[in-house]
Amino acid sequence: MKKNTRNTIRFLFTVNAILLGLSMSATVSATHFPEPGDPIAGAKLWATTCSRCHNARDPADLRDDQWISTAFHMRVRAGLTGQQTRDVLTFMQNSNVPISVEPLVFKGNTQPGSEASNLSGSEVYAQTCIACHGSNGKGSVPGAPNFTDPQGVLSQSDELLFSRVKNGFKSPGSAMAMPPKGGNNKLNDADIRAVIEYMKKSY
Amino acid sequence: MKIMNHNFRRRLLVLAIMTSLPFSAAADDKYDLLQKQVELLQQQLQELQNSLQAYQDEMKVKEVQVEESVTQLKQDVAEAEEWKHSDTLVHLAGYADVGYTSSSGSDGSFSVGRFAPIFHYQYRDIVMLESELEIIVGENGETDVVLEYLTIDYFLNDYVALIAGKFLSPVGQFRQNIHPSWINKLASAPPGFGHDGAAPTSDVGLQARGGFHLGSVFTNYAAYISNGPELNSTADGDEFELEGIVAEGLSNDADGEKVIGGRLGFIPIPSLELGFSVAMGKATVTAVEVGHGEEEVYAEKFITDLQGLVGIRSPGAGDPGDGDPGFDLHDEQARNYDVLGMDFVWTLGGIQVRGEYVKSKVGAATSGLTASSGASWESWYTQASYLLPQTKFEPSVRYTDFNSPHSSQDQRQWAMGVNYLISNSVIAKLTYEFNEGQAGSTADINRWLVQLAYGF
Ligand code: HEC
Ligand code: HEC
Repeated sequence: MKKNTRNTIRFLFTVNAILLGLSMSATVSATHFPEPGDPIAGAKLWATTCSRCHNARDPADLRDDQWISTAFHMRVRAGLTGQQTRDVLTFMQNSNVPISVEPLVFKGNTQPGSEASNLSGSEVYAQTCIACHGSNGKGSVPGAPNFTDPQGVLSQSDELLFSRVKNGFKSPGSAMAMPPKGGNNKLNDADIRAVIEYMKKSY
Repeated sequence: MKIMNHNFRRRLLVLAIMTSLPFSAAADDKYDLLQKQVELLQQQLQELQNSLQAYQDEMKVKEVQVEESVTQLKQDVAEAEEWKHSDTLVHLAGYADVGYTSSSGSDGSFSVGRFAPIFHYQYRDIVMLESELEIIVGENGETDVVLEYLTIDYFLNDYVALIAGKFLSPVGQFRQNIHPSWINKLASAPPGFGHDGAAPTSDVGLQARGGFHLGSVFTNYAAYISNGPELNSTADGDEFELEGIVAEGLSNDADGEKVIGGRLGFIPIPSLELGFSVAMGKATVTAVEVGHGEEEVYAEKFITDLQGLVGIRSPGAGDPGDGDPGFDLHDEQARNYDVLGMDFVWTLGGIQVRGEYVKSKVGAATSGLTASSGASWESWYTQASYLLPQTKFEPSVRYTDFNSPHSSQDQRQWAMGVNYLISNSVIAKLTYEFNEGQAGSTADINRWLVQLAYGF
């Protein structure tokens, strides 16, 4: 009897947790329009296009829904295609999650095997990080650090770098933040460890 | 034997009874004890059952409560998601600036530059309304409100957006992309690119905008058809002279002749954009300013009929309709109107270099009251800025050369300054303008400008 009650409670709390998880993941995902774009292409566009007319705006400047209107405003201003608009928008919406708040992850959501990296460190770098950090690691947007500096940011511990890449990072007074996972939500922990190892080796 | 046997049994019985007596007393005690224990156990069992029952009842209540809170939570989540499931978005953006200007030879003054809210209403990814107001406080404390632009944008497909209404002129880059004060790296517009200069500011009509890949070169375009500008003329006795082009988005096409134009932008490498603009059509003189000798007298224009009879009166010349004929501008000849523009921008990290050339040409008119020869307005600027690495300081410098048909307006200007980026869209600017124009004209006066601009 007692065991049954306990199970019921456990079940109800699980339901609770799923609902909470759902509501959390929902705040991360976008509105029902437009359909999501490619955040990797979006980061590249952001790094090259969004500073052509004005200082690049920090993804954290605006909320997900505000970015929608602004993305369409900029589509008209800058003559972007619909696809480019969706790509930039998805990147902005991925990148404006509050920094250093570990997103609540409901463990049940983790698909088996998703913790293994499918990408090499250099692939992760070339896909996601290159847009802002450049192929030479010296940084291609204002505010990005120089990875080749021997006393620079890469001399910090793996754990610190891991948490800064995963959760995003903004140094005091910096005009531009490092977006969580470089704005690419598909990266898992193993991908991040792989790219840190790659950066430390290459720069 | 039998008797003895009998006796023996008897004795044995007596003995047994006698010996068992104290034992039976002991058994009674044990029994009582057992009974007490059983009673105690029963009582405890009862208590346990009671508390279990109470516990179960409580749990039932809790289950109901949990169910209720789950239902509530579901509802809350659904409600919290409402904003994501509405088909309409409402968004407020815009910019504002305040400043201080000090011209050489006069006292400096504080100014509220402008408050320019932008309203966005969006229906899904199909339609968007964009509207910017510009609210300015004038020298005498009056507040002016201007509708900078108001368009309804229809996203036809991934490559074409149709824009209808009053829009910023797509010619060149300054007017449509750089003029907001949080974007402009200097505290003033380059001469010729402000109002009544060489570059058209806005227009009313229809526009198509978008972008596409042309091989490896990304291309963006804007093409429009619009009412086009009107012209001002000055009268000095019987002589008329073209004064300026009013290209400020008129919702009336006095001459019925449309203007077509547009801009093509090429992005051969991500850090570079080259733009080419043209506009062509007709424009007609619709207002005359009266010059009195050297001094130009401010004149007020009024419309006396809807066919385009526009008159002018000098202050004190009497009220409209009281017999002052004004000028009859019925038969003004529509003149050729042509605009040509070229622009570029190049960025590398914190370095940005941009430049722009624009020429607006108005042809001659041989008939009509204000018939006169043609005129052209021309201006170009180049600007460089550099956000110093690891700092928030951004020095910038701009050179402009503006040529108008009136030598008193011609101006060559070096503007240099330093900006402090409080954030990427909150910028404090200190600018100094070295102006070189006709001696004694306002175009010749150097200025200090301090500006705080906020784009939101
Ligand atoms: C062709 C020039 C141009 C490009 C390229 C451009 N912008 Fe803008 N952006 C503007 C102008 C101009 C404004 C100010 C709008 C106004 O005042 O009418 C603006 C305003 C903004 C604002 C303020 C909020 C708003 O909706 O007005 C944000 C945020 C913004 N841009 C982000 C971006 C992003 C992100 C990109 C990259 C996709 C981008 N911009 C590319 C010209 C540009
Ligand atoms: C959209 C641009 C952008 C992308 C994409 C991006 N970064 Fe960054 N990154 C930045 C900026 C800007 C900073 C500097 C932030 C600061 O100092 O405030 C930074 C800082 C860093 C730092 C230094 C943190 C420290 O301790 O100072 C590391 C490490 C880093 N990025 C790694 C990565 C990796 C790995 C990726 C790809 C997964 C990536 N970045 C993708 C913009 C970006």
